[in-house]
Amino acid sequence: MTVSTQVRRSRVHVTGAASAAVRPVLESSRRPARVLAAFPTGVYLEVRTDLEPSVIAVITGEATRLPNSVLLATRLPHVTVGDEATVGDRSVELGRLTLSVRRWWDPAPPPGRTDLARLARAATVLGDPPGAGLAGNDAVDLLASSCAKGWLLGAVTAAEQLVGLGPGLTPSGDDVLAGLLVTLRQLGAAAGVERAVWLAGWLAAAVTFDAGTRTTPISATLLHCAARGEASPEVSAVLRAVAAGQGLEPALRRLHRLGHTSGADLAQGIAIGVSAVLSLGGSR
Amino acid sequence: MTRELVLVRRGAYHDSVTLMRISRALTEMPGVSAAMVAMATDLNLSVIRDLGFPAPEAGPGDLLIALRAEAPEAAVAEADRLLSTFQQPQTPAEQPPLTTRSALRTSADLVLVSVPGEYAFAEAHDAVQAGLPVMIFSDGVTVGQERWLKELAETKDVLVMGPDCGTAAIAGVGLGFANVLTPGPVGVVAASGTGAQQVTCLLDWAGTGVSHVLGVGGRDLSAEVGGLSTLRALRMLDDDPATELIVLISKPAAPEVARAVQEAPLRTPVVRALLREGGPDLTEATEQALRALKRPVPEWPAWPAWSGRTARHKAIKGLYSGGTLGTEAALVAGQGDFVDFGDDVYTRGRAHPMIDPTLRVEALSRAGDTEVVLMDVVLGHGADPDPAASLAHAVARTPATVVVALIGTEGDPQDLHRQAAAFREAGAAVFTSNAQAARHARSLL
Amino acid sequence: MTLLSAPPRVVTVGAGLLDESLRAQAVPTVPVSWRPPLPGTARALVTVLADPRRQAANELAVRRLTSARPQLVRVRRASEVLDEDTFLHAGPPIEWERASGPMRGALIGAMLLEGRARDERAAERALAAGAVALRPCHEHGAVGPMAGVVSPSMWLFEVRDDEHGGTAYCSLNEGLGKVLRYGAYGPEVLERLRWMDEVLGPALAATLERTGPIDLRSLMAQALQMGDELHNRNRAATSLLLRELAPAVVEAAPDTAAQVLRFVNGNDHFFLNAAMAAAKVSTDAARDIPGSSLVVAMARNGTDFGVQVSGLGGRWFTGPAGVPDGLYLGAYGPGDANPDIGDSTITETSGLGGFAMAAAPAIVRFVGGEVADAVRATRSMYEITLAEHPAYQIPGLGFRGTPVGIDVTLVARTGLLPVVNTGIAGRVAGTGQVGAGLVKPPVEAFTAALLALADEISDPFDDQGPRTSSPQ
Repeated sequence: MTVSTQVRRSRVHVTGAASAAVRPVLESSRRPARVLAAFPTGVYLEVRTDLEPSVIAVITGEATRLPNSVLLATRLPHVTVGDEATVGDRSVELGRLTLSVRRWWDPAPPPGRTDLARLARAATVLGDPPGAGLAGNDAVDLLASSCAKGWLLGAVTAAEQLVGLGPGLTPSGDDVLAGLLVTLRQLGAAAGVERAVWLAGWLAAAVTFDAGTRTTPISATLLHCAARGEASPEVSAVLRAVAAGQGLEPALRRLHRLGHTSGADLAQGIAIGVSAVLSLGGSR
Repeated sequence: MTRELVLVRRGAYHDSVTLMRISRALTEMPGVSAAMVAMATDLNLSVIRDLGFPAPEAGPGDLLIALRAEAPEAAVAEADRLLSTFQQPQTPAEQPPLTTRSALRTSADLVLVSVPGEYAFAEAHDAVQAGLPVMIFSDGVTVGQERWLKELAETKDVLVMGPDCGTAAIAGVGLGFANVLTPGPVGVVAASGTGAQQVTCLLDWAGTGVSHVLGVGGRDLSAEVGGLSTLRALRMLDDDPATELIVLISKPAAPEVARAVQEAPLRTPVVRALLREGGPDLTEATEQALRALKRPVPEWPAWPAWSGRTARHKAIKGLYSGGTLGTEAALVAGQGDFVDFGDDVYTRGRAHPMIDPTLRVEALSRAGDTEVVLMDVVLGHGADPDPAASLAHAVARTPATVVVALIGTEGDPQDLHRQAAAFREAGAAVFTSNAQAARHARSLL
Repeated sequence: MTLLSAPPRVVTVGAGLLDESLRAQAVPTVPVSWRPPLPGTARALVTVLADPRRQAANELAVRRLTSARPQLVRVRRASEVLDEDTFLHAGPPIEWERASGPMRGALIGAMLLEGRARDERAAERALAAGAVALRPCHEHGAVGPMAGVVSPSMWLFEVRDDEHGGTAYCSLNEGLGKVLRYGAYGPEVLERLRWMDEVLGPALAATLERTGPIDLRSLMAQALQMGDELHNRNRAATSLLLRELAPAVVEAAPDTAAQVLRFVNGNDHFFLNAAMAAAKVSTDAARDIPGSSLVVAMARNGTDFGVQVSGLGGRWFTGPAGVPDGLYLGAYGPGDANPDIGDSTITETSGLGGFAMAAAPAIVRFVGGEVADAVRATRSMYEITLAEHPAYQIPGLGFRGTPVGIDVTLVARTGLLPVVNTGIAGRVAGTGQVGAGLVKPPVEAFTAALLALADEISDPFDDQGPRTSSPQ
């Protein structure tokens, strides 16, 4: 890269909104990054950092607001895979754009207090979600039964088989695990089921330990987010509806519209999580 | 050769912020010594006269252009060019909505009304009638209209924020004058916009985020309005899963309304800030909220003046853009002469002092060397993109000693630290807590 | 979903800066292109908007207007419904002294037709002396294009509203060129009127008895999809009507059928008068609803433009009629034009005509302008109307319903006046049509109606208990 031409080109200052999850990366000192993938509605940047999320999605209004996203108020610049970028010192520099954040959103909004009766009602609605990429998979069954029993070893064994399983940027196995982790942490806390939160912590530690080498970088970052209870608004809306005991069907329909199978896979993870919280909370 | 030119364009309406920007751009043109482009309100006509122009026959619906320049015609041409570029860009085939009612054909969640107060009722009415919450930024709406709107809102089960609601934040979205805030557990219900800004900025500094800020307007707790919006906002935050604690910033209330608010059945704990003699100030209320959440109370950042001016100080002069901050400072300082430049009388047909520094720059130039000037500088969405650019200069030139209450967060677009440094270099002491700034001012006497 | 559950999408109205700062936060906004209301209306607007009856009254009024089912039921002689010493005319009330050239010409022609005067001078004298009562069509359940003069020996379409039961009348269309409604009264005009009285009227009356009621609502809905706007373009509707009538005409009046069908076929505007009666019966259904700010009539007599509002009964609010802006026939020019005239603005009042211009791109050749102007005109009318018509749709706008139900509060708030398509009459009595174009209604007619609505309402901010302060 020749610095002189880069400097000469005028930079365009733009603003946007971002998930609070990316705030530590954005507010630490400037780091190099590169374009990992580029789509019409989003660009994924891999940042050289030890912080998570290490992959940041720069998106436009039409894209899913993943928990690692920065939402642009303008259009995306034209970039290609491999292009250099920088992230840090409160801005993202991508192509000719210098992007600063004017709004933060919470990727892990609390779903609100709930109780086991409401979870039980939700569990019947969640059931077996249609269209899940891994319906009937043995590892998924093992994951569900182990979580319901609070059996960490079984859950970890199943999770190891699921990380990176399936095609695409976010493999189905990862989406199931992400849905499960967020649900255990958020609804476990909301229903006061300590054991579910405990399970979430240990399972998350196991899943994220070597996710970086076992699945795509984007999916690994999303698993790190899920481990902290962070998700896209469609997932949060389902958890909120479960907790509130109302509006679950429409929220589920919106979730199912995500990706090819992502929405259905996340919903399957949520269903497993709700059943686990119920069973760990002592409901029969 | 400098010439004067005063033009009136009948019935050409533009909002005051746009016109302020154009005035400023014209003033910066070479050869222009004075420029004012404004709606011909009584206030603006008197400003024109003060600037030495002959005041023409014109009314508040007319556009006024007054220029003193070597080539005023060129400045008029520039004004016309800017006026056309500031018009909202619309694709020609599409009809832009001309009323709120028409705009609501597309789906929306909230209406933000900032037209001049005498016209705000119709737009707010459209929103409430359609079952949408509304934030009325406009001031100058009558109390009768306010009550009417809020009673209609009761039947529609929606929130009316305002009138004269300067600040709100919903799920991180800053509306009006609001700061860039970290999401978190504190919900704010505020009868005062700048009061809410002070509390939320301090919370942000303390690392404790904010869920929502719901403004209710300064008259909501009066007997006439009956606290309808305050009660509704409290219930909404009580039902909001993200909100763990509510800070209620109120103004002195009618006794029966105060009782109704006090007795509102809420599961969420409430910390109150009530600006009156002996009540907790905004900083103390923030500290109470932090303690209630079992979070540490930090030192509020402050930057002392580089060098104290040696003159003997006799009086405090408060030059505030935020009415509540001025009230708070006056209470804490216990003395002095305070002016609220955000009041109706200063903003009719003119941009708010948080955007337009002109009146405060003038006031600083008139301050004497025995005075301590206490002033607020508010950062965030909607505020002057660089207040130090105009005000710090005036601070450096005034013979008075200046104490600045700088209300902002590190996330704000104006860059809190750069603003603080600029005012400090201009000779001011800078505080992020308005109450501390007022105490400091008093200590200088 | 509650307000607090997600970042809001915001409609912004007022300072552009506040909209910009939301956009900078990547918040979707819809900015309103706001302007202050018409001068002198601010207080009245607040009072009228706060009238607790208004919302429901307007909903009811516009529902009645759009749900009306006009049916052409009969053709009958005016003498059956009109007393013999009364002539009807277009627009708000007017006396002979203030009547314009074409209005006078049409009244003179009617006097001659009825045999009440031997010649022009005698007719003028008789009219000036008040020999016949001059009454607005609108006050007799009728409408008339241009001068709109109806005398006892003229024949009328009778249109019934099958939904609400109202009845409205409109004369039969004479064709283009030198015709009574444009103020011409020469021998060929009178001869045609006599033929209409003796041949056309009876033949159509007999025809309708055979066909039974003809559903004008569905016929007009079809015509809109075929490129008519039903004020200045009625070619499709006339064809459709002719198709409905032709066999029955042949059966009912075998001797004169060819004459009758040739006459109807030769006049692209034949349907206009049926459309006007349909519009009248629909707008009448929306009348007299207390608190409603809906416009139920716009009409011109060549001197004044008048407006009536549902909540204000039969009161007229007037301003000077303007001169249309458009294209002129032959050597005529704006200097030859009479100010705006006719009840045909009832079509705009019911969501047709200028309001439906986007349905009729061909109209721009007639009234001047570009096709885009027609689309823009219709789009702008959604800003001042309360509803979109459920049956009258515009294919080019994705079958969106036409803008219908003018609200005087929206006219005052937006400063937009109704778009009216019209023919242009010559100013000198006896000239006839000189052109066609668009005309701007006088703003004071609408502001006067708004102020009158406000006057009828006790202060809505004062009557809610002793503790409420009154507004300044």
